[in-house]
Amino acid sequence: MKLTGPLERVLRVFLTDPSARRYGYDLMKAARLPSGTLYPMLARLHDQGLVTSEWEPSSGDAGGRPPRKYYQLTGEGIRVARLELAQAARTAAPRAGHGTVRPAPGSAP
Amino acid sequence: MTAPSRTPPAQRLADRLIRRACHRLPGEAGDERYREWAAELPAILADPDVGSGMRRSARALRYAAGISRCARRLGRPGGGPEPRASLPARPGFPVRRVLVGLAIYLGVVGLVVGLAAARPGRAVLLPVLPVMVAFAAFCLIDLARAGQVRYLPKWGWAIACLIQIPLGGLMYLAAGKVPATRPEPPAQP
Repeated sequence: MKLTGPLERVLRVFLTDPSARRYGYDLMKAARLPSGTLYPMLARLHDQGLVTSEWEPSSGDAGGRPPRKYYQLTGEGIRVARLELAQAARTAAPRAGHGTVRPAPGSAP
Repeated sequence: MTAPSRTPPAQRLADRLIRRACHRLPGEAGDERYREWAAELPAILADPDVGSGMRRSARALRYAAGISRCARRLGRPGGGPEPRASLPARPGFPVRRVLVGLAIYLGVVGLVVGLAAARPGRAVLLPVLPVMVAFAAFCLIDLARAGQVRYLPKWGWAIACLIQIPLGGLMYLAAGKVPATRPEPPAQP
């Protein structure tokens, strides 16, 4: 899985409360992504088994609106998302941090 | 379901766009996707975080446009993000040409409005009129002789050229006209 910026944002939103079920527009707003980016990503995560979806029961508290589809990370999804985000944080940290000395370009043996 | 008469026009239009987009997807999947995506519209149009109804409508239409892109992507057999690899012959939407067309249009409008403001009482449109008619005629003749056009059927472009002179004609030349086959794309240094 290649962690792109939009994917990272979606995973962060999911991980703020892994037990919450979220519908598409909710995710769009929280991750600040357009629908054309979000839904293909959800489809991919779904195919990889990292996200499940379920229909809202139609006789709920919907107040007359059509039932929505809700998305949620699977157990595996939570694991992978935490791992990926941690890895991203690790690779980003040394750049801003201290101590790592990088050889000047061209000086490599 | 809300009563159809109470459905705001933006929702109806967005709904229709989504329905059309879902036709690209194979039967069952398209149906389910349509129900999923259309069900988000009420939430967008009642979003308390977006100030005016106008902006909510715009957001709903943007949402539908994104869905259309998404359905195109999901509808491809591989589902992958490479739309153009298999279709090298078809060039992408000519954004720059359309922008140039729009700029020319705005220039013409600005010129006419400026002239009208500078010389009140004079019929400034009179000399422009034959130019416009000639331009529309040029576009129609070009359209009639073209082998194939893009984005709209020929009759669609003909109507566009006629009802919105000169914008329709400019858009036809910019976007609808299939560019002559160039021998080779210029090599980038």
